[in-house]
Amino acid sequence: MALLSKQERRHFPDWDDPAQCIFQRVDIDVEKCDGCRLCTLVCPANVLEVYVEDSRKKARVKTSQRGCISCNNCHAICANEAIGAKLANDFVGFYRQLGRGPFSLPRKF
Amino acid sequence: MAETNAAVARLDDAEQIEADAGRVSKITEVPVGADWNAVERAMLERRSIRKYKRRQVPPHLIRRMLEMGRYSPSQGNCQPWKFLVVRDAAMIQGMEEYCAGACKKLSTSFDYTTHRAGSLRHFATRAKTRLFNRLQPNMLHPVPMTVATLIAQGRFAVFHRAPTVILLLMDKRGIGTPEIDIGICGTNIVLAAQSFGLGTCWIGFSKLLNQSREWCARLGVEAPYEISEAITVGYPVGDPTRPIARDTHEIVWFEDGKKEILY
Ligand SMILES: Cc1cc2nc3c(=O)[nH]c(=O)nc-3n(C[C@H](O)[C@H](O)[C@H](O)COP(=O)(O)O)c2cc1C
Repeated sequence: MALLSKQERRHFPDWDDPAQCIFQRVDIDVEKCDGCRLCTLVCPANVLEVYVEDSRKKARVKTSQRGCISCNNCHAICANEAIGAKLANDFVGFYRQLGRGPFSLPRKF
Repeated sequence: MAETNAAVARLDDAEQIEADAGRVSKITEVPVGADWNAVERAMLERRSIRKYKRRQVPPHLIRRMLEMGRYSPSQGNCQPWKFLVVRDAAMIQGMEEYCAGACKKLSTSFDYTTHRAGSLRHFATRAKTRLFNRLQPNMLHPVPMTVATLIAQGRFAVFHRAPTVILLLMDKRGIGTPEIDIGICGTNIVLAAQSFGLGTCWIGFSKLLNQSREWCARLGVEAPYEISEAITVGYPVGDPTRPIARDTHEIVWFEDGKKEILY
C-alpha cells in the first residue's frame, strides 16, 4: 500500500513542460494595485513585475517564470489587499502533494 | 529493587505527591477562540524577509536572539550548534559572490530549461538531471533549481543584502539527528528576532560555502563542524505582517477508540 501509485513514483516532472512545473497561483486585483513594487521585492521566486499601462503602474505575474510556491509573501506585504495566492502549490508525479485540505487563513480554535 | 518500586510509585502518585507537598501547580485555562497571544502572533506574522533597510541591527539584539538559540531543546541535550555572526558588508558580499558562482555551476549542470530546446546540451543535461532527480529528489527539486538559476542570472540574491548574517554550524557528532536540533535552534532565533520587530530569512544556499576551502578557512569552519544553514537579519522594508492563507494538512486524531480525520 502506498499513497503514490507506481507510475507516480516513477514520474518526475519535466521542467520544460509548463503544465507540470509552472504555477501561476497568484491573483492580482489591478483596480486595488497601486504599483508600489513591494510584492516584487518579497517574492521568493521572483515571478512578479511591475508594468506601466495608461501611465499607471501595476503588478503582474511574469509570463516566462516558473517557481511560485503560493507562499503568499506578496499578500502579507500588500497594503491594499490587491494580491495573493488562493490555491496551494502542487506538482505532478513523484512530488504530488498529499493530505492537503483547502487553503485557509489562520484559524482560532 | 525496593528503590525501583519506590520510583515507580512516585511516578504513579505524581499528583498525590504534589498535593502532599502543598505545591499544586495551577493549570492555565485558554478559552476556545481566544485571541492570539504574543507567541502565536510572532509565529503568524513571521515571514521570510528578502529586502532589508540599510540600518544595522544593534549587537545586543543579536546576542538576545542567540541566547534563545542556546536554550532550544536538543537530543540528549547535545547542543550541536556553533554560531558565526557576520556583519562585515565586504565579507557578506564575498560570500554572496562565492555562492552565486556555485549556483551558476549548479544551474548550467542541471537546469536544462536554460539550454536551447533541441540542442545537444539540452538533451544531455535533461537526461543527466532526470537521472539525478531520482537519486537526489530533495536537492534536485524544481523549486530550489529555479532559484539557483535566478541567482546565477543575477536576478535573486543569496543573502538578500542583509546587514547581519548568522551562520548556523552543526557539530556532525551530535546525538541522533543533529539537523533537527539545528532547525529548532534556528526557529528559536528567528522567533526571538520577530518579537523585536526584526526580519529574518533562512538561507539554505549558504551550505554551498562548505565547498570552498578558502571560505571555510576564512570563516573558521572545520570538521567536525559544517555550515548547516544561515539566517539573514535586518529591519524589513514595508510591513509584511498581514495574515496569509496556507494549506491545511490532514490531521489523524485517535481518541476514545475512534479515529477521526481533521484538517
Ligand atoms: C531551511 C530553510 C532554508 C531556506 N532557504 C532559503 C533560501 O536560500 N533563500 C530564500 O530566499 N528563502 C529560503 N527559505 C525561505 C522559504 O522560502 C520560506 O520559508 C517559505 O517560502 C515560506 O514563506 P515564509 O517563511 O515567509 O512563511 C528557506 C526556508 C527554510 C526553512
